Amino acid sequence: MSPPKNPESSPKNPESGKEYTPKAGHDKSPETGKNNSNIAETGCLIPQSEPAEKDGKITRMIILGPSAEISNTELVRNLHMMEFPLTIKTTCYGAAISGEKEDVDEAIKRIRKLDPYNIFTKDRGFPPGDPRRCRAKRGGAREGFHQLEKEFELLDDVSKALKNPRKVKVKKVEKISPEEFKKIARECK
Amino acid sequence: MKVAIFPPNSMILADLVERRGHEPLVMQRQIRKKVTSAEIDSPPLNITEKEPIEGLKYAAIEVPSGVRGRMALFGPLIEEADAAIIMEDAPFGFGCVGCARTNELCMFNIRKRNIPVLEVTYPTSSEETMELVNKINEFLDSLEDKNG
Repeated sequence: MSPPKNPESSPKNPESGKEYTPKAGHDKSPETGKNNSNIAETGCLIPQSEPAEKDGKITRMIILGPSAEISNTELVRNLHMMEFPLTIKTTCYGAAISGEKEDVDEAIKRIRKLDPYNIFTKDRGFPPGDPRRCRAKRGGAREGFHQLEKEFELLDDVSKALKNPRKVKVKKVEKISPEEFKKIARECK
Repeated sequence: MKVAIFPPNSMILADLVERRGHEPLVMQRQIRKKVTSAEIDSPPLNITEKEPIEGLKYAAIEVPSGVRGRMALFGPLIEEADAAIIMEDAPFGFGCVGCARTNELCMFNIRKRNIPVLEVTYPTSSEETMELVNKINEFLDSLEDKNG
């Protein structure tokens, strides 16, 4: 990545409009020494990630619970019938959809209405069929699938709880007294 | 409200937060930035030498680079959060959440922020799961009240 042409005159990149973040060791930045968030306590310059708001294309997984009233095929057919410009992929757990954030969000909103208590969704970092994660290329299930498999076991109970909500009291966690802490420390010896 | 969840890639927590109209701060969003950026041309190396340097904001230089690299992803989510839900003893620990020390550091950072935090344990029975869901919903509704 090449540095901006004239970082001294403007802290912003003239091409992208993004804030100019100098590389470690680049001492020409006008921000050096002034912006506390970029400086560690040790005085090292720490490059910061760009804010996560600008999503652009996103991918979401739609997971059907064990008691879902619709099948994968129905789910995908419904997604296609919405006619959004999305990439739709049928999967064993439901479907993966990818596209512009607004379209994906609207599709999720509508698809949830089919079976509100049994359709779950999750964000996904990699696009569908990405060779780095797709098992067709690399062999074996991807890491996220193991987690999904484990969480899938709870989905039936989660949907039951969503259908029949109950009032519960949330216990507030409070700090313990030093005496109590000393007692615990003695017990742990 | 932006709600940080822990484990940061939990489907159940993210889904429940979203159902109540809040925004879950999930790991996948951070991962997406790394894997769809045009700079990355060598697929397995999603974490470059930049991340352990970014992680210095959250952990000392003596801390292993794996922890600092992970903190470069988790840290911004924790900083952005207005509230948090921590699910302890979750049996899954794959990929980015596979490091116990990072998980401890994340939980410490969440607690240190003085934001509303709900701490629950991973359910082992049907009854516990239902209670967990109700607790999370109750907590999320109370956030809305505070928010006006």
